[in-house]
Amino acid sequence: MTDAAPIANPTGKSGRSKPPAARQRRTLFWAVPLLLLPLPLFLDQYKQYVANLILVYVPVAVGFNIVIGNLGLLAFSNVAFFGIGAYASGVLALKLGWPWWTTILPAGLMGALAGCTASVPALRGVRLFYLAIMTLAFGELLRWVYIRWVPVTGGSFGMSVPQPSVLGWTLSTEGQKFYVFLVLAVLAVVLTDRILRSRFGRAFMAIKDNELAAAAMGIPTDRYILLAFAWSGFVVGIGGSMYAALVGHVTPVAFDLTELILEFAVVMVGGLGSLVGSVVGAAVITAAPEFFRGLPGAQELLFGVLIVLVILFLPRGLASLLARLHPIFVDRHYRD
Amino acid sequence: MASLLEISDVSVRFGGLVAVDGVSLAVGAGEICALIGPNGAGKTTLFNAVSGNAAISSGRILLKGEPIHGLAPHQISAKGVRRTFQNGGLFAGLTALENVLVGLHAKVGSGFLGLLAGARASERAESSSTEQARALLDLMEVGHIADELASDLSGGQQRIVEIVRAIATEPPLLLLDEPAVGLAPHMREQLVRIIRRLAAEQGVGILLIEHAIELVMAVADRVVVLNYGRKVADAPPEQVRADKAVLEAYLGHA
Repeated sequence: MTDAAPIANPTGKSGRSKPPAARQRRTLFWAVPLLLLPLPLFLDQYKQYVANLILVYVPVAVGFNIVIGNLGLLAFSNVAFFGIGAYASGVLALKLGWPWWTTILPAGLMGALAGCTASVPALRGVRLFYLAIMTLAFGELLRWVYIRWVPVTGGSFGMSVPQPSVLGWTLSTEGQKFYVFLVLAVLAVVLTDRILRSRFGRAFMAIKDNELAAAAMGIPTDRYILLAFAWSGFVVGIGGSMYAALVGHVTPVAFDLTELILEFAVVMVGGLGSLVGSVVGAAVITAAPEFFRGLPGAQELLFGVLIVLVILFLPRGLASLLARLHPIFVDRHYRD
Repeated sequence: MASLLEISDVSVRFGGLVAVDGVSLAVGAGEICALIGPNGAGKTTLFNAVSGNAAISSGRILLKGEPIHGLAPHQISAKGVRRTFQNGGLFAGLTALENVLVGLHAKVGSGFLGLLAGARASERAESSSTEQARALLDLMEVGHIADELASDLSGGQQRIVEIVRAIATEPPLLLLDEPAVGLAPHMREQLVRIIRRLAAEQGVGILLIEHAIELVMAVADRVVVLNYGRKVADAPPEQVRADKAVLEAYLGHA
């Protein structure tokens, strides 16, 4: 035997520092929010409200993208997680008198629970259109609960959520909400990035590409599908909690199919399977209608045209455009 | 001393069709056993039975004397049976390196909460595994394509990377389903070299399905021939070559 080198146990040096790309990426996660800090100085209350709404849609899109973009399952239960998070926060604040900031984590946990529930058909092997329709039904079922469970949810009229507060400070202006929302949105992105760059994220993407081969590599695929749904539900549930604090009123209508289509558009326009895309999509889809506000009547039309144009010319979303501009935006780990 | 893999009297039925019919065979550590036979002979079905992707209707499959039939594919994989797929089982959207990292999945010791908290231990586990995966690709002479997307690799490179991914955790048993399909001659040589080294140096037991008969003759210690789901021969390559039943299986009744 001449070759002395063992084959499957190479003596690779361990502990080499991170590749520059990962470090650059981290800088991006902290630099962009830092640049946004002075924003409330320049915006009026309404524009600040729109900026806050963008921050709400960041976790909502990030969570949705994990399931449809990274795990690759056609599950449309996202609006259910969003609603559960909003109602959890609303009920805890209104009925039990909890300050808003203490309801954020419970809202996330309720979202995670909804995520686990929504993953059941997928765990039973339901896929594609069948999974799509079953998860759509899950969202509609929850909407029925919001409407019927009047003593808790306030029925069709919804419920008013008390003014949000953090550690005893009342967030009375949109600018104050902005800073709290910014922290939450950044956390959602940073934590999700850590997951997607780890063996957990690789397992999600392996399942997306080839479930059989993933199992053959020792990955308990069921457990990872459950985990992806739970994390998705957690993040989106927190988005729901932010929504309740921002709007101050939670109604069933906010979590209907139109809302789901909007969230789907955020992910598709931003970039399926791209974390950068989730953020960019949230910003563009939320802000775009405001730019068309001066053209009454044409607003919906232009909004629709914008979506069609992006999908037509940038099938990988706006994230792919950014990736062409600078490698820092490249989601090497999240390609489809 | 029990063999590494012992398949005894295994049958696999799909409805009325008997795909594998009472097959017994054994593979020892460091042994290369080739499984040949005409299309539809039940070779891949037997593979699927071993890896847990097909349920057996009778018989027993033992790994190191321990029954593994009835376990889920990921459990069998965790016990040390790794396989490649006939049509290529790489994750197309991941790079070659990431594919190998998925192969190492169970060995990457990063915990979920540790990762969320940004714990050093989790990050170190990730980066040392990345090092290990890179070194493995280097060792198998495909280090230069580590950062290419699997879908951008040539067919031959994909086959090699799939084998690297399968052996990343040093499994005692490796199942290779037609690894030489569509390989250019120089890639075939590389493949033969890799298979031989795995068996000789690591003591990996290898069960190999292959149609390229000269490759089988070059690497196999033993050749098992299946026909219509039954075993018709089990002998060293040079004997099988002269076997009448084998000629019949391939050429039909003379």
